Amino acid sequence: MHARQPHLQADVQDVFRFEQASGGIEAYRLLKNGLQVLLLPDDTVPVVTVMVTYRVGSRNESTGLTGATHFLEHLMFKGTERFQKEKGTSVFQVLQCVGAQVNATTWLDRTNYYELLPSEHLPLALEIEADRMRGALLREEEFERERTVILNELDRGENEPTRKLYQHVWSMAYLAHPYHHPTIGWRSDVESMRRDDLRHFYDTYYWPNNATLSIIGDFGRDEALSLVARHFGTIPPSPAPIPDIRTKEPEQRGERRLIIRQAGQLGAVMVAYKSPPGLHTDADALEVLSMVLASGKNSLLFRRLTDQGLTTHLFSGVTRLRDPGLFYLFAMLAPEKTHREVETAMGEVLKAVCEGGVSDDDVQRARRQLFAHEAFSRDGPFAMAAPLNEAIAVGDWQLYTTFIERINRVTREDLQRVARQYFLADTRTVGYYLPLTNGEAA
Amino acid sequence: MTSRSHTRAFKDRVAVEQFGACRTLILPTRVASVVSWRGSITAFPDFGTGEDLIMDLTTDLLDKGTRSHDRFALAAMLEDRGAEVQFSTDGPRIVFSGRALREHVPDVLRLMAEMLFEPLLDPAEFEKARANLAASLHRTLENTGALASGALARHLYRPAHPNYVPEPTADLARLAALTLEEVQAFHEAHFGSNGLVLALVGDVSHDLVATAVQAGLGAWPSHSVPACFETQVLLPAAGRTCIPMPDKQNVDVRMGHGLRVRRQDAAFMPLFLANYVLGGNFSARLMSTVRDEQGLTYGISSALSGITTEYEGHWQVAVTLSHENLERGIAATLAEVRRFVEEGITPAELDEKKTTIIGKHQVTLSSTRGLADILHRNAVRQFDVAYLDTFPEEVAGLTLDRVNEAIQSHFHPEQFHLTMAGLLPAPVDDPMTQAIRT
Repeated sequence: MHARQPHLQADVQDVFRFEQASGGIEAYRLLKNGLQVLLLPDDTVPVVTVMVTYRVGSRNESTGLTGATHFLEHLMFKGTERFQKEKGTSVFQVLQCVGAQVNATTWLDRTNYYELLPSEHLPLALEIEADRMRGALLREEEFERERTVILNELDRGENEPTRKLYQHVWSMAYLAHPYHHPTIGWRSDVESMRRDDLRHFYDTYYWPNNATLSIIGDFGRDEALSLVARHFGTIPPSPAPIPDIRTKEPEQRGERRLIIRQAGQLGAVMVAYKSPPGLHTDADALEVLSMVLASGKNSLLFRRLTDQGLTTHLFSGVTRLRDPGLFYLFAMLAPEKTHREVETAMGEVLKAVCEGGVSDDDVQRARRQLFAHEAFSRDGPFAMAAPLNEAIAVGDWQLYTTFIERINRVTREDLQRVARQYFLADTRTVGYYLPLTNGEAA
Repeated sequence: MTSRSHTRAFKDRVAVEQFGACRTLILPTRVASVVSWRGSITAFPDFGTGEDLIMDLTTDLLDKGTRSHDRFALAAMLEDRGAEVQFSTDGPRIVFSGRALREHVPDVLRLMAEMLFEPLLDPAEFEKARANLAASLHRTLENTGALASGALARHLYRPAHPNYVPEPTADLARLAALTLEEVQAFHEAHFGSNGLVLALVGDVSHDLVATAVQAGLGAWPSHSVPACFETQVLLPAAGRTCIPMPDKQNVDVRMGHGLRVRRQDAAFMPLFLANYVLGGNFSARLMSTVRDEQGLTYGISSALSGITTEYEGHWQVAVTLSHENLERGIAATLAEVRRFVEEGITPAELDEKKTTIIGKHQVTLSSTRGLADILHRNAVRQFDVAYLDTFPEEVAGLTLDRVNEAIQSHFHPEQFHLTMAGLLPAPVDDPMTQAIRT
């Protein structure tokens, strides 16, 4: 899908290499340091989203250093020589002063920093992101204060038993691969993390050749590229190759089960199966199958469980990751219903799909829902950033722009095939959240 | 790729139409294919008798079948179009919102009107909806934030005020006794075109929606139930309400007092800006001190809460604290709030928050959904569309004296009532402390 080289003005044409265009996005490479730049113009409204996606996530952490990616993400707001609170120029002060929405997120395969702001402030956002790519101070005093902030964030997560169930199913499904670790880290690792650990992590992964800069919204191409060249062009590429993880998850050869007991009111069940890497075409079929199973009142699981009063909420998903992920079903139990009857009903639905497939109507309905969701995902520069970010993380930004084509290629037969291939008892991990009443709780 | 947008004023871009009973605001934007909308009617439940619970249950039943289509046919008509329709309650209002591709908008609007005004209210679906609402209330009982906020609301409002939040256990008991006949009677008496307003934004035009709105939402008669709610917030003595919960390492804390202010009052905007300085965003004072400098919390903010043009609300600080930092975190938060009230804000803070609020106004309007929300909210307040254009000027015109005077007149941290839910230390021997066990 190579498109013709756009005509660039003189000051940027030798600085960038045009690589590809797809779905309204143009991809460039900053020749000096390998930074990938994606431009998605949309002048519907006078705002712009700037996002830097680093290809580092909790997948890059080892035991003892879990939570490092997330910890570092927090410290990236704590200052550089140019932008720091002591000078009244912290990232938040400067950007929120112009009305920007600013934040960052950390996940298994990536970390992203973004700001949505009035388009006349695009230069400011680019200056800040370039500055903190290599200029973060990571000061000891900031590091210690942020540790307790993160421990409170961890406690907030621990308050939610369903979140804990989700995490523990992942931890049990992955014994060797770092998807085993919670992104926020194990508590003891967060408690014992040292600043030097984070400095080393930063110096290993935060380089232009390990990042993608996306600019989405109301901007001019030449102006944007010129700004990118000015602010990012002075940063060198990493002195050493970016390390990748070598561990592969061994084949799962039997069902795994776990129980979370915590004070609460109503139970939950999660059933997960190993699924292919996110770029695999089977992940497209599983995405459609997930809609057929659990999206809307006509979905198979809704009809069998929620409509029959077994569950109050139910959802499913295929996590599209760089390495094999999970296809999961998550159900919140209705009062008086047991985990066993909910799990049994889920199993019956999956068995029926494996044996009898799904109807054409089901497939068409799922497709139409996905098409509409894709259109909705282009409603404003902020909406576009999230799916593009995940596509970058999986390893190919065109996963976002070619979504409709790929969904169109999925057939009814594909759905039955992937159900039979992936919904295997031996690759299944099942988790129950069992609420304890006040009297039982510790 | 180098074209830049030049937006015109809202008053010139928004068409305000009356389609039957429906006041309709239409804002075409250049987004391709997508249309978002948000609208509402006033149902006027009697909050004092707990009728809002019947309203919640009735609203939950709107998408469970109509007199013409059963629940699956209804869902299929939406799902086949990839369209979304949601119903919810907000004080005395029933709110409906949705999103669809342009070609499906007329059909979906007709269907939404059918769901709103001709629901089936089937006995079996009633039982399921009741069980689901009960489950939702049960889950509230394990949510530290919801319990802390609810306890504060019960302290600051009487049951007849729309911002009052009943005890989840009391709602569960009431829910168990509700009948389908009560739901049917509520729908019959309270669902009409009173206060009907609808804002549509995106790839939309007058011709696309006129017929569907006129024949659907706009064709409905009004009801005759009068407004029945208390408008005033209470100003009770300060104190503490503690809700001990096992297994909840994070404690949610709320502190607040009533504000005798409504949205249209002259004091509102100065207070809005002042509150922004204290706890409106990441660079506000509370985040800057209690989180950044002292490392005591992941989340802390302050807000003017529950204030509308129809009734008063309250000023609230919310903070999450690990239980070992509870008292230290509360003390640090209160110290910062007291300093803010004693010293007021600085000229630099005034200027900074003005540009923040004005810029945020622009950013909020960057999606059809955000635009539909703000157009609807503005219409419910009975503000003219042009207010969205003059809002930045109103913010820019705020003076330091006005803001600091408003702080002195309205913010009184010594009147804060504190509520907290989570793993708590042993209750202190304080006559002002009221412990509630869930």
